[in-house]
Amino acid sequence: MSIAQNPLSVEVTLPREDVALLTVQGYLDVDTATEFQHHLANQLHHGRRHFLLDLSAVPFMDSSGMNIILRVYQEVREIPGSVHIIDPTPAVQRILDLTGVSITVPVSKTVDDALALVDGGAVPEPGAAGTSGQEEA
Amino acid sequence: MSISEHHSEPAGREPRPEAAASGAVAPPEALVVPGDLAADLAGIPPLSPVGRLAATVERLSREVRAAQAEAEGRALIELAKGILVERLGCGPAQAARQLAELAEQAQVTPLELAVDVINQAARDRVSEVTDAFLAATAAAETEADGEDAGVEDADAESAAVRLRAAESGALAADDTQAVAVSLLEQALRPLGAVAVAIWAAGADGSLTLAGSAGFSPAEAARWRYVPPDVVTVARRGLTERQGQWIASLGRTGLPSIGRHQHPDGGRVAVPAGTGGRIHGVLEIVWAAPLEPQPPQIVRQIEALAELCAHTLETYTPPLGAPQEPRVLPDAAELMDLADGLHDPALVLVPHLDGSGNLADFRIQHVNDRFLDPAGRPRAVVSGALLLEAYPMAAGESELFQRVERVYATGEPFRAHRMNLTALVDQVPLSAVADISISRHGNAVLLIWRIEDETARLASLLQHAQRLGRIGGFEENLLTGEITWNGQLFDLYGRPETSTPVPLEQLPSYAHPDDAVAIGRFLRTLVHHRRPASAAFRLQRPDGVTRHIRVVAEPVLDTDGRLLLVRGAYQDISSQHWTEVALAATRDQLAHTEQQASERNRLALQLQQAIMPPTQAPLRLAELQVAVRYRPAETEQLVGGDWYDAVVLPSGLVLLSVGDVAGHGIEAATSMVVLRNALRGLAVTGAGPGQLLSWLNIVAHHLTGAVTATAVCGLYDPDTRALRWARAGHLPPVLVRQAEAAPLPLVKGLLLGAVPETSYEEAEVQLAPEDTLLMYTDGLIERRDRSVEETLSHLLSTARAAPSTLDQQLDRLLTYSKSDTDDDTCIVGIRVR
Repeated sequence: MSIAQNPLSVEVTLPREDVALLTVQGYLDVDTATEFQHHLANQLHHGRRHFLLDLSAVPFMDSSGMNIILRVYQEVREIPGSVHIIDPTPAVQRILDLTGVSITVPVSKTVDDALALVDGGAVPEPGAAGTSGQEEA
Repeated sequence: MSISEHHSEPAGREPRPEAAASGAVAPPEALVVPGDLAADLAGIPPLSPVGRLAATVERLSREVRAAQAEAEGRALIELAKGILVERLGCGPAQAARQLAELAEQAQVTPLELAVDVINQAARDRVSEVTDAFLAATAAAETEADGEDAGVEDADAESAAVRLRAAESGALAADDTQAVAVSLLEQALRPLGAVAVAIWAAGADGSLTLAGSAGFSPAEAARWRYVPPDVVTVARRGLTERQGQWIASLGRTGLPSIGRHQHPDGGRVAVPAGTGGRIHGVLEIVWAAPLEPQPPQIVRQIEALAELCAHTLETYTPPLGAPQEPRVLPDAAELMDLADGLHDPALVLVPHLDGSGNLADFRIQHVNDRFLDPAGRPRAVVSGALLLEAYPMAAGESELFQRVERVYATGEPFRAHRMNLTALVDQVPLSAVADISISRHGNAVLLIWRIEDETARLASLLQHAQRLGRIGGFEENLLTGEITWNGQLFDLYGRPETSTPVPLEQLPSYAHPDDAVAIGRFLRTLVHHRRPASAAFRLQRPDGVTRHIRVVAEPVLDTDGRLLLVRGAYQDISSQHWTEVALAATRDQLAHTEQQASERNRLALQLQQAIMPPTQAPLRLAELQVAVRYRPAETEQLVGGDWYDAVVLPSGLVLLSVGDVAGHGIEAATSMVVLRNALRGLAVTGAGPGQLLSWLNIVAHHLTGAVTATAVCGLYDPDTRALRWARAGHLPPVLVRQAEAAPLPLVKGLLLGAVPETSYEEAEVQLAPEDTLLMYTDGLIERRDRSVEETLSHLLSTARAAPSTLDQQLDRLLTYSKSDTDDDTCIVGIRVR
């Protein structure tokens, strides 16, 4: 139950200027959600529009974690931007499906897949990849 | 009186101190003896501090006279000529010639020779000295007792004869053994004594039997050496530094020479000292218990002890004795040692007065670390007499007495935080110092370390005081002298030229309400002599009130007497208001905390008012409904779970469970909103998907971006069909016979996340005895297992269906694998 037992580690990298990749390790629950939220708010503050959340090392996520994801989803909708979940564990995938979040927040297998979705721009459907060169330039 | 007696000494002796002081000739030891006796018996043993001061003054004036005599130059020579005129029966001119010739032959100056001549003459005048001694004794006796003077005189006369005979014997004797025999036979047998022992004190504290009489040779041999720290009668005389008069040896239990022969006899042990230094002990043995002795006997024996001291002074243990030869390091060696020390050190050598008594110590040398407490140059102090340089040493600080004792006994003295007082321009200045005094040979090494590290830090401290608005003070309770630093005058709002306020007047400067606190502070400090502090409101003359904290500590002298009080005042006005503000914040916090707990209770009450933990089951003809609500164990975790089961106007039964994210009153109120909204919306007759879509809008527009999950079902009792939809919630579980399975995971986002979304609907056809369960995730939520695992556990629990629906729900709660402290709702329906 304590943070010491389940420390949350969040690593932030910037594949692009406006894309933040947050690699999360640990339980995303009521104890750690606030910390996770701070990372997201910080990146939002620095003008990132797209958030790639690598949850491959998150064995458990509860409604608190879910709410953080939903909150950032709501924030970036206005910009407009996007939130992508990358490679969730089965338990997390299950929660995403259960809560219906996976309907709204796209789930990708890899970072590249997610970046491809980002490049798809306003088009929510995958398959519009190939414009990444422009973004980088 | 004592001084006038001193002056009444024979004129022939007068020049001797001058001779000694000028260093021309050291008087032969034998001649010092009568002088010692006379001075002692004249009643000026300068023991008290006042006596010391008086003696110092007296000696200083005598030295002035001596200087005058020296200026005249020829006084001594004239005196010697006079003696020669008397002896040789010649005229003054011939006597002068004779003196010059003798001086030439002896290769000394006429002055030195003159001194020799005078000394020779003085030796012949023992009777005259004895007379003076007798007169002094008689006078003292008469004064003390006021009894029959005639008897006293006779006594004194016989005593004088005894003493003189012993004296002559002692002077004639060439060793201490002979002195012992002479003393016993001539002086002590008449007093009833049977034996005498003369002990020589070794540098290491041991005692050596230097001479004895009246004991068997075997006994004397047994007692030839007493190691240090063995307590005997003689040792006690040495350590107490005064005569031990013991009525019966047996009663003291102390061992001593001759105890077996005379177990119950009286004993006397008198320290034998000259010039303030104890060389040994004179021990006298009586065969019978000893009555208290009259003072004149006591004085006689003390005089005899002094006689012994002169022989002991030059006593060298016989060869082969179990004792190291006495090392007498030169004062020069000690000066080298002092120069190597890192603390101020003084080398002191004894300074004897004219009669050979220790009058003072000459400061032979001061090392280069030496700093005069009075700030005088080193050269002024070096060479001066101790009491002249530091007259206050004779006073309260008792430094002189310490030095004297160390010189007398050889026992080193060490003290921490001893108070030293130096006189600067007639103003006594105190300094606290660590002191070390030790005797080396005939000299004394005095080391002190004055605590003046604070001086080095003084400027730093001053800045700190200014910044911290701290005012320091020191108040001498004996003299009433008060020292304030500048900052303290500022704090008080008084000019620096004004008089500092004594501590005891503090209450009159403070707010009347603080009198009790200040009273307690002063009592702790002055009465209990403990450090104390108090906070009070200082009312300054300019009308300003400041909040002040005063901290003070008592300073005790080495005897534990309260010497002074020092401390500091700090202006804590700003701090005070900060504290007041803090206290208010604390109150507010406590209030908030209380409010929070009240709100949590309110949330619980709210929830329980809306959804009783076990609501009376909804009874329908074809459908049995049961509900359970289990609040979170921790009060503040009371959340927003809800259930509902109600028959709509259309005849359909609305079933729902939901869970608002978060805890506390906000979650509870949101829950109430959503639950009632769903009821209201359901009246429209819309399907469950549509209802949830509307409910999503409600949730999204609730303040605080509430998210919630819910499952909503409409049961048609006629067809036994259940249409349902879910918003991010766990799908219901269908228990049919021995099977339990969740309904399919139809699509539906949780409520409130997005402004608008749609919800997939599903329908399930129920059969009689089917049970359908809706529940919130408090029932299955676990950190260490997947939802699947806990769900399958739930399903297996649900499968083993007991007879009634109520029992089934109870069982689910009991066997729930949940480990989080979350509230839990279950709605169960059973088709009949």
